Amino acid sequence: MSTMKTTRDVKGVGVSIPRPDGPEKVTGRVQYVADIQPKGLLHAKLLRSPHAHAKIVSIDVSAAKALPGVRAVLTAKDIPHLKKKAPTRAHAVLAIDRAVFMGQPVAAVAADELSIAEEALDLIKVEYQVLAASIDPLKAMLPGAPPVADAGTEADTSEALAHSAVAIAKSDAPAKAVNISQQARLQRGDPAKGFAESDHVLEKTYRVPMVHQGYLEAHAVLAEWDRNGLLTLWASTQGSFNTRSEVADVLGIPENRIRVIPVECGGGFGGKIRALCEPITAVLAQVTKRPVRYVMTRREELQAGMPAPQVIIKLKTGVKRDGTLMAIDAETVIDSGAFSGAVLAVSAVFLGSMYKWPSFDIRGFEVLTHKPSVAAYRAPVAPQTIFAIESHMEQIARDLDLDSVEFRMRHLIQEGDPMVNGQPWQSNGAKQVLARIAEHPHWKSRKQWMAAAGKNGKRRGVGLALGGWLGGLQPTGATVRLNPDGTLAVLTGQVDIAGTNISLAQIAASAYGIDADLVRITTGDTDVAPMTGLSAGSKTIYTVGAAVLQAAEDARRQTFEIAAAELEASIHDLELTDGKITVRGMPDKGITLATIGKKGNLYMSKTPPVLGKANPAFTQQAPGFAAQLARLEVDVDTGEVTLQDFVICQDVGKAINPLGVEGQMQGGAVQSLGIALTEGLMFDDSGRLTNPSLLDYRKLTAADLPNLETIIVEVPSPAGPFGARGVGEPPIIPAPAAIANAIQNATGARLTELPMSPERIALALVNGKH
Amino acid sequence: MAKQILSCTVNGEAVEVLVQPYVTLLDALREDMGLTGPKEGCGTGDCGACTVHVDGKVVASCLMLAMQVRGRKVRTIEGLAAADTTLHPLQDAFVRLGVPQCGFCIPGVLMSAAALLEENPRPSEEEIRYGIAGNLCRCTGYTKMVTAISEAAGTLASQGSAR
Repeated sequence: MSTMKTTRDVKGVGVSIPRPDGPEKVTGRVQYVADIQPKGLLHAKLLRSPHAHAKIVSIDVSAAKALPGVRAVLTAKDIPHLKKKAPTRAHAVLAIDRAVFMGQPVAAVAADELSIAEEALDLIKVEYQVLAASIDPLKAMLPGAPPVADAGTEADTSEALAHSAVAIAKSDAPAKAVNISQQARLQRGDPAKGFAESDHVLEKTYRVPMVHQGYLEAHAVLAEWDRNGLLTLWASTQGSFNTRSEVADVLGIPENRIRVIPVECGGGFGGKIRALCEPITAVLAQVTKRPVRYVMTRREELQAGMPAPQVIIKLKTGVKRDGTLMAIDAETVIDSGAFSGAVLAVSAVFLGSMYKWPSFDIRGFEVLTHKPSVAAYRAPVAPQTIFAIESHMEQIARDLDLDSVEFRMRHLIQEGDPMVNGQPWQSNGAKQVLARIAEHPHWKSRKQWMAAAGKNGKRRGVGLALGGWLGGLQPTGATVRLNPDGTLAVLTGQVDIAGTNISLAQIAASAYGIDADLVRITTGDTDVAPMTGLSAGSKTIYTVGAAVLQAAEDARRQTFEIAAAELEASIHDLELTDGKITVRGMPDKGITLATIGKKGNLYMSKTPPVLGKANPAFTQQAPGFAAQLARLEVDVDTGEVTLQDFVICQDVGKAINPLGVEGQMQGGAVQSLGIALTEGLMFDDSGRLTNPSLLDYRKLTAADLPNLETIIVEVPSPAGPFGARGVGEPPIIPAPAAIANAIQNATGARLTELPMSPERIALALVNGKH
Repeated sequence: MAKQILSCTVNGEAVEVLVQPYVTLLDALREDMGLTGPKEGCGTGDCGACTVHVDGKVVASCLMLAMQVRGRKVRTIEGLAAADTTLHPLQDAFVRLGVPQCGFCIPGVLMSAAALLEENPRPSEEEIRYGIAGNLCRCTGYTKMVTAISEAAGTLASQGSAR
C-alpha cells in the first residue's frame, strides 16, 4: 500500500486507501434493511397482478383479514391521496381500477410473520377482466394499440435531468400515437444531400432487451411512525433526500414529517434512485401503528422491479469512400414500460455527437408498454446507444478497408465541438483513451494472436470500442468540523455504496492539510445531514467531492484565522505541518490543531468552534470516456464465446483513490459484459416474464471471466475536485460493442441484437455462411 | 404448526433453538439465532449470498431446512474470524485489496473461498474462479476477489509452514 504524501504533503488524494468499513463488511456485521429487527416488527407482502393489462372488477379481502396474525390488508380504496393518473411508478402505490403490467401491486398485507402474510395473499380474491396488452414497443407506437396510461398523464423527465443534465428540445410533433409519452427530434444540415453524395450507406437496426440492474440486495424498507405522526424510513436507497421527497409527495405529507435513514445499500446501479415500495410500506405502518418491513423477493425484482429499458435503434450512415462522414439518420425507440421516465437525451447525444457528423436527423421516442416501468441502470441508455454507433463505425471501417482506430480518431470530437443540441463538448479524454488502448500489445499483436488459434474449432477475434458519459450534476452540501483533539469530522448525506466516503475523506484531508486517517466521514440521515444529491450519474466525487473540498478549505481558513489571532501573526505567514500551525521560519511559535479544537469547546471560551461549510450548485459537466478491448474465442459449432482478455482504459481526470477507481472500472465492465453476452428479461406475447429467476436470467460469474486489466488515464477536468471526473458510468458503456466487434473479427458475423448468446451467434454463422 | 427443537453446533457453540419445521436454515440463522451475516439474495440457491458451511461443506442455506442440520456443525461468516476477533487471512486480504463495495455478496463469497482453501490450499486462478462461481457479485467484477483469495492462500500456506 502506498503511503506517498500528496497535495499539502499529507496522506490524501491520489493514494490507494482501503475503505474503513471493510472489516465490518467482511465479518458480516454490516446491517442492511433486512437485518434490522425492531420489537413488534410486522412483515409486508404485496399481491401482484397476474395479468399485463386487466380491469380490476372486484377485490374481496375478507378472508385474508380474518386470518389470525394478519394486522392489515389494504387495497387502493384504503389509501387517501392516491392520484388516479399516477405520473410515476412511485405514485402507483396500488392499482386503482386497472393493472398495467404483470406484477403490479394490487393489495398489501402486514402480518406478524412472513409466512402468515404469504398465506393471506392466497386468501385475497380479485376478479380481473383481462384486456388486450401492448407488449412490443414498435407495435405499441402504432395508432390503435391498447393504451397504457390514462389519458392526460404527464411524462416524467426527472430521471433524465438527474442523470444526464443535458437539455434537448422536445419535439412538438402534433399527432402522436397513444403510447408515445415523450419524443424529440434533432436536425442539422441536409442529411438527404449528405446521403446522396455518399459512396457508402450502411443501415442496421440494433436491439437491446430490458436488463435488470441485479443489485444483490433486493429493494427493502422498514417504516415506523411515532406518536407525533413522524415517519421514519430505514431505506435501501441511492438518495435519502430524494426518497423523502417522493414519499412526501405520494403520501401528501410535509417533508419535515419524514426522516429517511439511509441504511447500508446492497447495490443500486440506478435501480434504487426512485421510490418503489416505500410508500406502501409507510401506509401499512401507519395503519397498524407498528414497524413494518418489506423486502422484495428476487422473483418480484425481476418481474416487477425497475429495469433498464428495451432499446431499439435504427441507424443509417453515409460516408465517402475515404471515410469522410456525410450524414447520419437515427431513430431510437425506448420501451419505458408502464410509466414514463426513461432518459431520452443520452441516445441522441451519443449517436450524433461522438463523431463529427456534418448533417443529421435524429429522432427519439419513449414508448409505454404493459411491462414493468424502467429506471436508470448505470449510464442509462448509453451502453445501448454505444453498441449501435460503435458497431456501426467498426463496420464502416471494415467495409471501406480503413484502420478502425484511425477512422474513429479522425472524426472523434474534442473540446469545443458542438453536440447535437448545440452545446459545446467540455474538455475530455476521448482521444487519449482511444490512443492508449490502441497502443496496447493485445491490439498491436492482434493479427499474430488470431493466427495462433489452435485447431479446436475456435476462432479468435479482437475488438475494441469507445464510449462516454457526460457527467451528472446536482446541488449538494457538506460540513467539516474540527474536533477538540485536532481530528476532522465531515458530514454529508451521501449514500456510500462504491466506497466514495473514503475518497471524500481523502479530498478533505488534502484540502485541509492533515492525513486522511485523521478524517472521519459520516453519512447523515435527512434530519441531520446537509441536503445531498443522489449517489448516481457519476457525480459523487465531482459534486459532493467539490462540496467537501470547499468546506474543508473553509474550515482551514477559520482554523488559520484563530491561529493568527492566538499567535499574533499574519495569516499569510502561517503553515500547517503534522497537526500544528506555526509561523513560517519560527518552528517554536505554534499552536496545535488540538488546542484550537479544544478552545472551540471550552466553557467561557471566546474562540468559535471551527465549522466549515459549503453548499455549491454546478453548471459545468466533465465528460468521462472509456475505451475497452476484448480478446475472445468463438466456437463456430456452438456459438459459445470464451473471453480471454479484457482491458479497460478510462479517463478519470484524477484518481482520488486508485483502489476504488479500479473497483468501479472492473465492476462496471462486468455488468457491461453481462449485457453483451447473457442478460435479458424475456417477455412472452402476453407480457409474462419467462425468465424470472437468476438461474434463467444469467448474470456473469467469476468462472465466465478472465482478470480484467485496468489502465487509468488522467486528463484533469477544469472544475472537478483535484481535476477528478465521474468514474462509475463510463466502464459499463463500451463492452457490448467491443464484444460484437471482436466476434465479427473472429467470424465475420455482425451481431446486432443483445445478448450475443451462443444461439444467436450460431444462427448468425449459419445464416451468414461465415 | 408446532415448533421443534433444533440442536446443533453453530460457530463452535452448542445451540438449541425452537424453529418451525418448514423454515430454511437461512431463516433460522437470521431470524431465530440473530446471525444476519448470511444474506438472502435470491432464495433459490442461484446467487450464493446465503452460503454457510455444514460439516465443512458449502451449502446454500436458503435451500436447506433448518431441521436438516440437527446434530451437525454449522459455520457462518460470524465464525470465520478467530475467537479473539483477528480477521481470517481471507477477510484481511479482502479488506486490504479493497474488494468489498456494496458488501452484500461478501459473506457468501468468503465462506465459499474458505471452503475452497480448506480443500485445496494452493488453488490456481481457474480453480479459484470455479470455487466462487456459485457466488454472484455485481459490484467488483471479481478480479480483486480472485487476487485476494490467491493472496490469502499464500498467507495461510506460510502460516502453516511456520507452525
